[in-house]
Amino acid sequence: MKALDIRNITKTYHMASEEVRALRGVTLELEQNEYIAIMGPSGSGKSTLMNVIGCLDTPSSGEYFLEGVDVSKMSDDQLAEIRNRKIGFVFQTFNLIPRSDVFHNVELPLIYGGLSGADRRKLAEAAIEKVGLSDRITHKPNELSGGQRQRVAIARALVNNPSIILADEPTGNLDTATGEEIMQVFNDLHAAGNTIILVTHETEIAQHAHRTIRLRDGMIESDEKNGVLHPTLS
Amino acid sequence: MRYLYELRESLRIALAAIKANKARGVLTTLGIIIGIVAVVTTMTAANGLQNSFKESISAVGSDVLYVTRMPWIITGNFFEYRNRENLTLKEAQKLAARLSEAKAVNPSSYTQRDIKYRANLMEAVTVVGTTDKYIRVSNALPEYGRFLIPQDVQYKRNVCVIGSEIQEKLFENTNPINKRMKIGRYYYRVVGVMEKQGSAGFFGGPNFDRQIIVPITAFIKTFGGANRSFSISVKAPSQEEMADFEYAVIGEMRKIRKLKPTEKDDFSINQMNTLMNAYNSVMGVIVMIGLVITSVSLFVGGIGVMNIMFVSVTERTREIGIRKAIGAKKRAILSQFLFESSVICLIGGVIGLLVAYGVTALINNLMMPASISPFIMAVALLVSILTGVVSGIIPAIKAARLNPIEALRYE
Ligand SMILES: Nc1ncnc2c1ncn2[C@@H]1O[C@H](COP(=O)(O)OP(=O)(O)O)[C@@H](O)[C@H]1O
Ligand SMILES: [Mg+2]
Repeated sequence: MKALDIRNITKTYHMASEEVRALRGVTLELEQNEYIAIMGPSGSGKSTLMNVIGCLDTPSSGEYFLEGVDVSKMSDDQLAEIRNRKIGFVFQTFNLIPRSDVFHNVELPLIYGGLSGADRRKLAEAAIEKVGLSDRITHKPNELSGGQRQRVAIARALVNNPSIILADEPTGNLDTATGEEIMQVFNDLHAAGNTIILVTHETEIAQHAHRTIRLRDGMIESDEKNGVLHPTLS
Repeated sequence: MRYLYELRESLRIALAAIKANKARGVLTTLGIIIGIVAVVTTMTAANGLQNSFKESISAVGSDVLYVTRMPWIITGNFFEYRNRENLTLKEAQKLAARLSEAKAVNPSSYTQRDIKYRANLMEAVTVVGTTDKYIRVSNALPEYGRFLIPQDVQYKRNVCVIGSEIQEKLFENTNPINKRMKIGRYYYRVVGVMEKQGSAGFFGGPNFDRQIIVPITAFIKTFGGANRSFSISVKAPSQEEMADFEYAVIGEMRKIRKLKPTEKDDFSINQMNTLMNAYNSVMGVIVMIGLVITSVSLFVGGIGVMNIMFVSVTERTREIGIRKAIGAKKRAILSQFLFESSVICLIGGVIGLLVAYGVTALINNLMMPASISPFIMAVALLVSILTGVVSGIIPAIKAARLNPIEALRYE
């Protein structure tokens, strides 16, 4: 089964005076355990596409199958459940709950997933260990460095063993060295079998992925395996 | 079961949010506090009043009819009653003779006199002139000594039976039996003390503990009887026959008064129920006022809490976005804010209960026996939680409906 099957998706924002067509027909397939980077200039629709893939938003038209399930017409609560069980989100600005410690931040998706305290502890501790923060488990976000915060966010994203991990410019707020460390975490997750989609505008970051998609004006401009050039058929 | 973890998380967040904004929370609960104090004290006071009133009323007996010149509770035209003839002792005797089925028929007359014992004085004490049968139409018994006996009435003896409050105050709790005291200008000898009956006297109800009972013959001899109207107590054969018996009493009284069928009754029949009903309607007004104060302050308090909840939702917009992004459903966000508003109001309710507890203690010391019942406590807590839910619902729905992307972008 394909991890992801997107067919001719559009997204139009209706503003007071104009219509913004953020996505104008995007078709994309992803196999299990693929590792892709999405690149493109600012305003090209990268975040919009990520939000649709991450079920935070619904497309204006087109079809979207996530692991064979049609999610393009689901209700808010159904989408919340999909996000909870199948999606792991990593944001540029970390988006941790400020008053909660590392452990609670990481176990939160499991609470909304209805897991018992014992199960949550086991899974959350394993996820925190994977990102190398076991010694910071009781720290609050403001007691951590930027790189550490992003590691917490990654642990939270992978704690529910999602079908896809989505990262929208995960290194955008980090210095180059820390960014490289975070990319190492993603590489490890991919090696462990996870499917990863990464938005970035830095070529060095995109190089970690195995496939790069370039967006321009809400359309796919190119889709190529890294290192080997493939002209897009459109 | 799985929702339980989610609910516990909601409660956790709510408590943390309240803890982080203590001062703000307490301030907004002021309206709730006032509302709860109002509802608890009115309900407690109403309860206390009712109990003490019922207690003293019960001493009189609900199977007794009271034939009087004027009704106890005057409704309608006062002048219609004013021209009525006095009820005389002779009429009382005639009524007793005709009502053979009655358990007892007893005439009484009332006056107010200052009473004295040595240097102690009590002003305007109710003096009841009656017979030995009084004890059969009222449920009270003497605590010490004896009650009036037929010979007291027959020989117009200057003897009296006093209420417990008179023993306390006039005799300073010493033994009053066979002591001579002054009622108005006349000496009477104390032969008995009635048992304590409890009082509703501060609220227009009768205070049987502050009255003196004397033989009706001595009463007429010393205080005069020519222009007095007597009240005739008639004890029904049984509680069930009260209604029929009332018709019998009216019929016999009309014969005694020689009324034509077209003429209206020129006397009144009263029961303790009549008094109870009048009392209940007064009580209804008190409770109404209490309820109005309560609802106004709860409304104002609720508006305050709603405002604070809107602030709380706005402050947490980004957090709501994060929670939604990782899978929180609408109900999780909804319950988070409903918990917050209910707990705020519940805290207000508990503070209100504590204040009401103090007020009740004060009422207890100054006015009458009163205590907050578990039922009132439960009502107060329930009302405060309900206020929390009602005032939190709109902000909570707003939070639950937030679009996750927009919420995440909120600065
Ligand atoms: N909520 C929105 N309302 C209106 N226009 C939007 C909204 N979100 C994004 N857009 C517009 O859609 C286009 C694509 O935005 P975005 O996906 O954020 O681009 P990128 O992430 O590649 O910079 C831009 O023109 C942007 O202004
Ligand atoms: Mg973007």
